[in-house]
Amino acid sequence: MSSLKRAAIVLLAMTLLVSMAAGCARKAEEAKPAEQKPAEQAPPAQAPKPEPPKKLKVGLVFDVGGRGDKSFNDMAYAGLEKAEKEFADKIETKYLEPSAGGENREQLLRLLAEDKYDLILGIGFLFTDHVAKVAGEYPNVKFGLVDGFIADLKADSNVRCLLFQEQEGSFLVGAAAALKTKTNKIGFVGGMKIPLIEKFEAGYLAGAKYANPKVTWKSEYIGTTGDAFKDPVRGQELTNAQLNWGADVVYHASGASGIGVIEAAASKKKFAIGVDADQTLTAKPEQQPYVLTSMLKRVDVAVYDTISLLVNGKFEGGYKIFGLADDGVGYAVNDINKELIKDIEPKLEEIKKKIIAGEIKVPFDKPTLDEFLKNLK
Amino acid sequence: MILEATSPLIAVVFSVLVGSLLMVLVGKSPVQVFGVMFRFCLGRADSFGTILFKATPLIFSGLAVGLALRAGILNIGVEGQYLTGAILAAWVGFGVKGLPGFVHLPLAVAAGMVGGALWSLVPALLKVRRGAHEVISTIMMNYIAQHLVHYLIADVFMDKMQMPIPGLGSARVRTPLIAKTAMIPKVHGLLALLGIALPKHTYANWLLPFGVALAVATYYLVWKTPFGYEVRSVGHNPGAAEASGIRVAETRLKAFVLSGTIAGLVGLSDLLCYFGYMDVDFPKGYGFTGVAVALLGRNSAAGIVAAAFLFAFLDRGAEGIQALASVPMDVIVILQGVMILSIVVAAEVVGRYARNLQRKEAARG
Repeated sequence: MSSLKRAAIVLLAMTLLVSMAAGCARKAEEAKPAEQKPAEQAPPAQAPKPEPPKKLKVGLVFDVGGRGDKSFNDMAYAGLEKAEKEFADKIETKYLEPSAGGENREQLLRLLAEDKYDLILGIGFLFTDHVAKVAGEYPNVKFGLVDGFIADLKADSNVRCLLFQEQEGSFLVGAAAALKTKTNKIGFVGGMKIPLIEKFEAGYLAGAKYANPKVTWKSEYIGTTGDAFKDPVRGQELTNAQLNWGADVVYHASGASGIGVIEAAASKKKFAIGVDADQTLTAKPEQQPYVLTSMLKRVDVAVYDTISLLVNGKFEGGYKIFGLADDGVGYAVNDINKELIKDIEPKLEEIKKKIIAGEIKVPFDKPTLDEFLKNLK
Repeated sequence: MILEATSPLIAVVFSVLVGSLLMVLVGKSPVQVFGVMFRFCLGRADSFGTILFKATPLIFSGLAVGLALRAGILNIGVEGQYLTGAILAAWVGFGVKGLPGFVHLPLAVAAGMVGGALWSLVPALLKVRRGAHEVISTIMMNYIAQHLVHYLIADVFMDKMQMPIPGLGSARVRTPLIAKTAMIPKVHGLLALLGIALPKHTYANWLLPFGVALAVATYYLVWKTPFGYEVRSVGHNPGAAEASGIRVAETRLKAFVLSGTIAGLVGLSDLLCYFGYMDVDFPKGYGFTGVAVALLGRNSAAGIVAAAFLFAFLDRGAEGIQALASVPMDVIVILQGVMILSIVVAAEVVGRYARNLQRKEAARG
């Protein structure tokens, strides 16, 4: 009896395989194997009627955490949304979310490329190798890569790396934290322990010490996997520990985990500093007075900028760097925190000018931070 | 009899129906979504290659869980065992240089198996010597493995040769690149002989036939050897096995470590054919999916291979319906869960019904 069942399972598996193989073999006869008929890929309900002015197709693939993190990914989405509104008659957009690590990212990028997308954006440094690989195979498709660095790109490459100087913005919010603290104790909660997040940490701590030499800190990371960016419970725990230690301002660079950081700080009536987006605006109303400011990382600008270049036919490969000078990073001022940071704003603006002028060299990792702190004394 | 033979098919049809209900609930046309899914999975050469690639780790994972299950051990630790296996294989891959491929590759694969075996040895010894329940100890070992591997990648082995502009972008957290001689060749050449042209960018590799062969080997081991008999006895009734002179502890230890050895192979398809390095983005969760694969495949060698393909099919289908039918990711994950659940339930219900029917017929005849 059980052998019969096994035979049935094998049979089923074989039918599945054979039909797949048959499908491929047929395809191989009909056309070159790598090329797919576009008609078969476009779902019928979605395909717009062929209008004479062809719309440019823009695709975007999110990082870990996906939409709804009120931080990094949502900023990218905001940029996409803005472009869609502005160029409504010129582009159509689509966004995807990887389900797992690794090969899945590459497949999603490739599916968009095969589907004749004109510009494909990979959000997050985890896309680095995948974008490099797929971009090499589809020279006619343009790619944008946020946070990732691919070597040897030129203006005529089809990849544009969108890089941010997060340490500069973090330096400013670090200074804000150090000027606002009453206990001279501040905290930092990072997401995944990787060099990228250590940039935020180094800038923040350096800025704090620069503005207030008496300040001390506790700095923690949520985890060692991508999940560290979507673990608000752990974010809350770490923040509570830092608040209990005496910190009264906590900065986070932890994606969706930061929702927990803000919640913890607000419930104890202490300050949190948001990241990427202006998180005063995304926080719940009762939490808003406790978001001191946010380190803005204008992923939305980078995304929008890249799309608008494409629309205007001015897309250029290579590297685009977003720093303090061009408002690619910065600290957030809004109607709610305006009063809160009024007293320290002149000081922050002064520091900002010094960074832009190159008088302050902002550290970006552990060794440069140590050196910076040594030179302060 | 016909009913029993078609029960897997009925189960799949049933799961599609349940999935359709879900699609209607979220306002999508089920005909369109499943149309896209099946056309996408069955009608494209790259989907075929991708399904082969995605099934490979699941076959090993299912076999590892399945073998332990035969001895009455629930090895939840495949997850940790394949990570330690992969990091050890990676280390051999980038650390050892100057070997020809026919030595280097087997060495790297062997290192993966050793890594998995070592990681399973701890909970195995704890179980047979101290009676610590393997579910708890392997879960703990999973955590340790995860963080140990991250520590090794980020702090010990991290590739210092990467050169981003200082302060811009950031170095990838990954090991140095694995030497070409340790990379697994793809099966494209073999399939070309059969008239199937796989696109270059799919990664089906020789671990797949190896996995299928291993499935046959475990079948032979479990059902045709004295050791297999001992394993099954211990799994069914340790007391009776003990009484009939089988060394229960020793058998369990062997089965557990053998399971870990197979688990060490799970990550190698991704590591040695796709990435060529180990980084923080290394796929996770194969170990847990393996439990589902082994259970869905009813722990038979052929069943595990078939279940692995089914999971791979659903996974590839997910890519298709997300990219081409605009179904949001969250809904897809729910859809996958619902479909797998209904397959398990339907297969069970239909199977039981068929058996009852047969029993009645037998009684009558």
